[in-house]
Amino acid sequence: MIAAMDTSFEPSSLLPAVAHGDMAAFEQLYDRHSPTLYALLLRILSNADDAQEVLQETFVKAWTNAKMFDAVRGSDVAWLISIARSRGIDRLRSRKIRGDREDEAGRELSGSFGFIDKRTGADDAIQSEERNAVRSALAELPEAQRVALALAYFEGLSQSEIAERLGEPLGTIKTRMQLGMKKLRERLKAFR
Amino acid sequence: MMDHAQFDSIAALDAIGAATADESNALAAHLPSCPDCRRARDEYGEATLMLARDLDPVMPPPRVRDRIFAAIDGGEPANVIDARDRFNSSRWWMAAAVVFLALWGWRELSVRVTREKINTVEAEVRRLAGQNQLLATRNEKLSAEMASLASRDTRTIALTGQQVSPSASAKVFLEPRQRRAVVFFYNLPANAADKSYQLWILRGDQPKPQSAGVFDVTKSGAASISIENLPLATEIKGLAVTLEPKGGVEQPTNTNFFVAGNT
Repeated sequence: MIAAMDTSFEPSSLLPAVAHGDMAAFEQLYDRHSPTLYALLLRILSNADDAQEVLQETFVKAWTNAKMFDAVRGSDVAWLISIARSRGIDRLRSRKIRGDREDEAGRELSGSFGFIDKRTGADDAIQSEERNAVRSALAELPEAQRVALALAYFEGLSQSEIAERLGEPLGTIKTRMQLGMKKLRERLKAFR
Repeated sequence: MMDHAQFDSIAALDAIGAATADESNALAAHLPSCPDCRRARDEYGEATLMLARDLDPVMPPPRVRDRIFAAIDGGEPANVIDARDRFNSSRWWMAAAVVFLALWGWRELSVRVTREKINTVEAEVRRLAGQNQLLATRNEKLSAEMASLASRDTRTIALTGQQVSPSASAKVFLEPRQRRAVVFFYNLPANAADKSYQLWILRGDQPKPQSAGVFDVTKSGAASISIENLPLATEIKGLAVTLEPKGGVEQPTNTNFFVAGNT
């Protein structure tokens, strides 16, 4: 089934219609992608109120900036994920500055990137199949590479911060992340 | 000067937001002139999507949807095209439109020419900024290396050539307090394009060697590498270099040490 996977994960792009003020397209965009973005923001922020606020900011930005979307560079969901992650990490950093976030060390770093095991109505068969393919690709990465990538992606840590957190030399972390990303890219090519 | 393999590695880190500011700037300066690296950057960007897609979707509460639609109610995207304004049956309006289009065409042409000139100048500025950044980075690296070499606490360790490369050697300047080191290699054979040398730390407290970074050697046989965030000096048992696939590996794939030595 992996061979048939569409790496864009998108039946069609809705953002060009949204850029022309098509409210129905915007509603479809929200219904299609909000569960993915909300799960991502919960993973980054570990707080439902913050995740909901950032989700709202993400979709309002998508509405006002839809004309900036470039379909050549990627899919709707790629664009939305990039906005949501960037805003989520900004929120996380501002919370860290405020000192609200005290229990960093308690975050889950092991095996799976996801920690929310909560199925919803949006979790249809197609999405499950895509996710299984993604999961098998990630499962092929060594644990140490997965952890380093997760710290960068979900917590927005720099190479030095990751090296510090894991107590490893910076060169080790850099190599580990580069190898992990290269493997993910290769897997992505194999899907095509 | 960085090569494609180095930019590819930076693109991998940049996609996941882990590249340093210097690395990101160097990559940004290089991308306008390199379609291969642009493609690599986009592919790594897609690859990071997999991390988000691994999560099980969670339906947000309905109130979030309500808040979003209330927030955008009445507002329109900046480039909304109003179909009502597109056509007008008036002949006068049609004539005005023809004149307008002719003028617009002229203006568009000159704007395009100007924009191309601006793009060229901007690309040159980005290239120079990237070079400037690279020089600043190199200067910073050299200063750190000088500090390592000049510190009173710095220890010197000699690594000797092994069976595969008996004439090779290396000198390690280890600054234990800052937990950093600079290693200079001599007489190593040049590595093939698909290979990299990798320096390993052999630790007393861990069974497996730990990567301290990768480097390339040209015909001159000389190279150097800086290591930051080293383990405590008491935990380092020795250092060794192997030849590995390009970009390095998690664990050595062979025991053909080119240089090695105990601390």
